[in-house]
Amino acid sequence: MITVNKLTKTYGKNDNEFVALKDVSFSIPDKSTVAITGKSGSGKSTLMHIMSGLDRPTSGSVVIGKTDLYKMKANDIDNFRANQMSFIFQSFFVEANQTCYRNVMLPLEIAKINITKRKSLVLEALKAVGLESKVYNLAGTLSGGQKQRLAIARAIVNRPSIVFADEPTGNLDTITGDKIMNLLFGLNEKLGSTIVLVTHDLDLAKRCQMQIHLKDGYIESKGKLTSKQLI
Amino acid sequence: MYKIDILRRSFRSLLSAKARTLLTAFAIAVGTFALTLTLGASNGARNYGDTLIKNNFDPTELIVSKDKNFFSNTSSSQPQEYNPSFGNITSDTGNVRQVQMLNDNDLSRLGQINGVSTVRPAVSLALQYITRDGQRKYVATLQAYSAYKAPDLLAGNIPNKFPSRSIVLPEAYLSSLGFNNAHDAIGQTVRLAVKKQFDQSAALSSILSGNASSIASSLNSSSNSAELPFKIIAVTQKPSALIQPGSALYIYTSNTDLITLNDFTTTGSANFHKYLSAYIQVKNGTNIADLNAVQSKIKDAGYSAQSVIDTEKTLTQVINVLQGIVTVFGLIAVVASVFGVINTMYISVLQRTREIGLMKALGMHKKDINRLFRIEAALLGFLGGLLGSIVAAVMGTLLNPWISNKLGLGSARLLQFKLSQVVILIAVLIFVAILAGLLPARKASRLDPIEALRTE
Repeated sequence: MITVNKLTKTYGKNDNEFVALKDVSFSIPDKSTVAITGKSGSGKSTLMHIMSGLDRPTSGSVVIGKTDLYKMKANDIDNFRANQMSFIFQSFFVEANQTCYRNVMLPLEIAKINITKRKSLVLEALKAVGLESKVYNLAGTLSGGQKQRLAIARAIVNRPSIVFADEPTGNLDTITGDKIMNLLFGLNEKLGSTIVLVTHDLDLAKRCQMQIHLKDGYIESKGKLTSKQLI
Repeated sequence: MYKIDILRRSFRSLLSAKARTLLTAFAIAVGTFALTLTLGASNGARNYGDTLIKNNFDPTELIVSKDKNFFSNTSSSQPQEYNPSFGNITSDTGNVRQVQMLNDNDLSRLGQINGVSTVRPAVSLALQYITRDGQRKYVATLQAYSAYKAPDLLAGNIPNKFPSRSIVLPEAYLSSLGFNNAHDAIGQTVRLAVKKQFDQSAALSSILSGNASSIASSLNSSSNSAELPFKIIAVTQKPSALIQPGSALYIYTSNTDLITLNDFTTTGSANFHKYLSAYIQVKNGTNIADLNAVQSKIKDAGYSAQSVIDTEKTLTQVINVLQGIVTVFGLIAVVASVFGVINTMYISVLQRTREIGLMKALGMHKKDINRLFRIEAALLGFLGGLLGSIVAAVMGTLLNPWISNKLGLGSARLLQFKLSQVVILIAVLIFVAILAGLLPARKASRLDPIEALRTE
């Protein structure tokens, strides 16, 4: 369970103060899929960053399981992220001049996974996303869809409990985007990770079990949202 | 992240930017090249100096002079007052200076100093010529044979007690004096001619007293020169320039005969029984404490004395100064390359901002990011150091024979590389590169992951 409690985030001071999140609270059950939607500047990326420990809230808390994220020291948050979370980004963020194998290996190295176990985990993750034939190809030679599949392999290789996906289909055409999301949701069912999806995509948000719609830093609505709200 | 993973990642990162890595490494290599050659040259020069001293100076002997200026190689900027009783020394640059000379009383005093075994005046006699029946006459230099020199012999042998009226002939004179080979010369007789020195002050007195004709008759007198037979007991091989530079034409005889001939040439002149320096054999001179004790006593008696150690020190000082000058140039190159490393590392941080953001998002600690970039800098230092020292070693090894030939060092090699020095040099370069990488590494570790991931 992820419990977000009275989360507020402000930037700047006095006249320059900007409130990105105001008193945001919700809970996400384990192994569920949730979409965070809203217009640009609504605070959805800030919420994702705070939920993942990349940014600190001005007030409020994020509790994952029994762990209060912001009661931990910076290094412990890093460790928690390395072992429990992973990310998929719109721009893929693959290391173009490294092989697919090396790209997927990165989270295992950071999480200090036993060296003897790494190879099988990497090959398994690449197989899960259908890139078993590209293991030693340079990431830079892959197509956009393949790069995002590689990013998914990197995201699932350390069996995280939460996967944060920030506009994962934003740089892909509709057909490829659908395939990627089918893959992601399929892996969610198979691996049982919680997927937190930040998206503008109405159809994509609809496929999630829960939607949180933000407007100017507030939660405008949560639960199963209407198409109008999602737009 | 395990250190080994950080090391591998740093290595891969450098490999992925080969051109940038190589260019930066080349910049470091230039300084390393200069420093490796400097170290090699100073090793060679030191070894050459040591060999030179070992082969030319008896470590149990002291060189003694009455004048401390005797051991000074520097020319004074002030004119020196003329003293008729002093002897002249001409420097390599042609400057003449005067030093007080040792006389028989001095030699006697020195001989009585406790711990002194023997005293022999240092004499190098310019013969008028050396010849043999039916052969031409050749100029030559006569020196006293010292068992310490132990020259390589082509033929004959030298007994412990050097026989009277005998010489050791250098190989170079064999064909000139009509010998077919070294063995032919053994037991044969040659004639050494000496001539009395022209006494300028006596000549001047004669001229002033209107008796100039007596000078001419004196110069032409047969009693002014002598031609004495000497038996060849051994023939020396041409010495290596390393063993005794410029000694290829030295003819050796006993100290007694040398002094006799020297006395003949100086009889009636101001230089009779006067010597610029003398060699003093110290009892138990292999013991440094005993040698130093005698040296102190000699100095207390008002003389200047120098041991082999002092000579070595002087030589080492010269080498150190030369080494220092070249090292400074090498260090300047290294310092310049440091800026290259800083620049390269900053560019690397800028180019990999999103990668750094991703690594941080995936949970990599600040200190590991910092370490990643410091290791990259260290690898650059290592690569540059390795490259520079290997090129220097290969070039040095190839050029050594040519340098030795040009400098007349014989079989000696000027550039002598020591693995331990190269290893230390590379270690220092790694350390310097790490220092250069500190700021870029700090910048990388402090990057905000959110901002880094937003970077286009």
